[in-house]
Amino acid sequence: MTYFKLRSVLLTATALTAGMSATTLAAQENPIDKVSPVTDEMLLNPPDGDWLMWRRTYNGWGYSPLDQINKENVGDLQLAWSWAMTPGRTQETPLVHDGIIYIQNSDQTIQALDGASGDLIWEYQYDLPDDVEPRGVRNKAIYQDKLIVATRDAHLIALDTKTGQLVWDKTVANHTFGYNFTSGPMVVNGVIVQGMTGCGGGQPGGCFFTGHDVNTGEEIWRINTIAQGDSPESNTWNGVPVESRYGASAWIPGTYDPEQNLIFAGVGQPYPWNTEIAGLTPPSSDPNVTNEALYTNSTLAIDPSNGELKWYHQHLPTDSLDLDYVYERLLIDLPVDGTTRKMAVTTGKIGIIEALDRETGEYLWDVETVPQNVVLSIDPETGDKTINPEVIPVIGETTFNCPADPGGRAWQATAYSPRTEALYLPTVEFCSNTTVNPLDPGAIYTGGGLQTYSRVEHPDGDGNIGQVRAINLNDRSEMWQYRQRPPVTSSTLPTGGGLVFVGSLDRKFMAFDDETGEKLWESGKLSSSLESFPITYEAGGKQYVAITANFASGLGRLASLTPEVKLPANDPITLFVFALPD
Amino acid sequence: MSSALAVAVLSAGPIRGDEPEFFERPSAPNQWTFGRRLDESQLRYCVDPRDPDWEVATAIADALAQGLLLEPQRYVIDSEYVSEDITKVYAILLEHCDIHMGFKLIPGSYSDWAMLTRAYYEADYVFVTADPDINALDDLAPTRPIGATLGTAAHIRLVSYLTALPAEERWPAFPMGTNDLALTSLLNGTVDVALVWAPTLWAKQREDSAYAGLRIIDPAPLPPTTLGVGAIMLSNETFLRAALDEAISALSADGTITDILAEYGFPARVEQ
Repeated sequence: MTYFKLRSVLLTATALTAGMSATTLAAQENPIDKVSPVTDEMLLNPPDGDWLMWRRTYNGWGYSPLDQINKENVGDLQLAWSWAMTPGRTQETPLVHDGIIYIQNSDQTIQALDGASGDLIWEYQYDLPDDVEPRGVRNKAIYQDKLIVATRDAHLIALDTKTGQLVWDKTVANHTFGYNFTSGPMVVNGVIVQGMTGCGGGQPGGCFFTGHDVNTGEEIWRINTIAQGDSPESNTWNGVPVESRYGASAWIPGTYDPEQNLIFAGVGQPYPWNTEIAGLTPPSSDPNVTNEALYTNSTLAIDPSNGELKWYHQHLPTDSLDLDYVYERLLIDLPVDGTTRKMAVTTGKIGIIEALDRETGEYLWDVETVPQNVVLSIDPETGDKTINPEVIPVIGETTFNCPADPGGRAWQATAYSPRTEALYLPTVEFCSNTTVNPLDPGAIYTGGGLQTYSRVEHPDGDGNIGQVRAINLNDRSEMWQYRQRPPVTSSTLPTGGGLVFVGSLDRKFMAFDDETGEKLWESGKLSSSLESFPITYEAGGKQYVAITANFASGLGRLASLTPEVKLPANDPITLFVFALPD
Repeated sequence: MSSALAVAVLSAGPIRGDEPEFFERPSAPNQWTFGRRLDESQLRYCVDPRDPDWEVATAIADALAQGLLLEPQRYVIDSEYVSEDITKVYAILLEHCDIHMGFKLIPGSYSDWAMLTRAYYEADYVFVTADPDINALDDLAPTRPIGATLGTAAHIRLVSYLTALPAEERWPAFPMGTNDLALTSLLNGTVDVALVWAPTLWAKQREDSAYAGLRIIDPAPLPPTTLGVGAIMLSNETFLRAALDEAISALSADGTITDILAEYGFPARVEQ
């Protein structure tokens, strides 16, 4: 039984202390009162000072035009305020609208804070079932007067942005089968689009995207991420029936092209990772079946109004190494061979940047970044990859692959700046000795995707595991590269001030010159590693930069490569907000 | 069972999942609040009703406590999850019990935060069918599918064997996420043979007549896949593990555990 309760903290009421004059009250007007409804027009063209969705804009750039903090003054940046969140593990992206910052704690407490002061305005405690482990969710959405939140037990809820009061609560899937949300939704033309994850061994058939009415939460469409039924795509599972198809999680939000009314979203790998165990190899002798396992590791172009799949492109068929192509698709228009193309640009765990024509799905180009030994070559016309057979895990052997899970770039998002026409990537260089192992230690408990990754430094590396890479997307050349020993563990944040902010495992938040890569500012040591999504916003006419310090999954697993980096055992989470001095 | 298998601890732990949500370093809510307990006169053990052997495990744990002159304190896990990551056990051990019954001794399958006792019984993965004409795996025609419980030691052994065969001689091996799903696929005709943990078949046949017609066949040409089952505990409980290993040895030798297995008609045996 799940219980929901409202724990609104009405700070205006708290301020109504005896003896406080009317003048004082007027001077301390609650900033939540000025919050306006978020319209479709705002989502299409967000106010400069807002951060209204996961990567700020529908095109997924993760770029803010704010320039109050810039190359000349970033050296003066200092802590404005901080907010301790519920300890645990999360990958938080705050939302900001009209100076109010909305955050989701790992225990699913949702809070609204004054973006200028950090004062709590309201909070709502969503009570997870006792058997659901509390962990954060990457992002939220905002539409009209509703904050849309995904929970770890596969619910979607809507809260009133001004009061925190629950508006509706919908169960999307049964969490006891493993379904859960690690990312939140996006809202397009009044339709909530949400991807499902956790489609491992508990229930076959894979994951799905769903569309929901924003006013009620009612599901209006669903599209499976594993091809099913009588279709050519369904015949790509080596003859394995739907009852034996697992994985294809949709665990990263999509981006949206209003011109085409299409969402572009990624799908993860098949499960388990070992293709022999998954039944995908050895290839079937049936001439009517293949083993690419669609739509795993694909870009899907989906109509958000009805869930119709317009086209797909599979980046990595028959994945055997947990090398998802699930991450953000950035919508960028730049010349290719002299002609401007409307592109969807994505980078998978292998660290290869790939561009598709987002109108047709046609493959355009690719750029390698981190050292890798998985892909031997890429067909320049089709994007088809030739995989190194020596890295494919085999039962009874140990193979060596670079990179390994969690990837040369993990879920920490890349970002694009229109100032420099560059893509900024947080990357890591490492390899793995990979062995296949059973996952049946307990009747209920499982242990792994069937492969153990014993991670090691790259044999030709210089000891610097973390990097920030700036790739010019006009000519696909590397503009600059910053290298350091600790893994770079946050998403990148380019701004109109000519800066790129990023965080690292060793608790540091940094700002770089977006053109040269010169490090212009570095915070002191924060409370934990920075494995989240930095944002910038405006409150009261002043620019702030915010990042959550937290230990999370993904690149946090590379801590074993840098034992000299000490992190706290109790997984503290703190929202740090920086600003220039007044 | 060799005693070497009683210590299945490696530093490189497995990770699970279809997205990077899993950690070599497990965590539990408020984990820093759990200190060393003061009452050393009890054996706090966990059993899980989702585990087919949980009643048998309860009886064995009570016997172990009695053998160690400790008061047994049972904690019954209450969860409806079909499948969970093993790091969840970390939180259970911190909060509820010294040992959790019912974990297979598989070298290399546990991270360094956990360790196991020696096995208190051994059981098999078994091939099961409803087809009266199939008495051994060898009787199954190459085109007819096997539904194998995904990722188990027996599934890996089966796949290794199949990979070595010419393509035209292979049985299709369909991975099934759980033992229950493998047995369901057998009942609904998706597969002709299921590969499942014998205690699961035993439990299903006790509680549901739909499974009564299923029977175990000879695994030939494959050898049987047998695994020891013990209790898991936090890796700093070295003294307790030594005591439990001694107790398991004693109760194995004097027939106590054999008697418990016989009382339930449980498909397992004791290593002497």
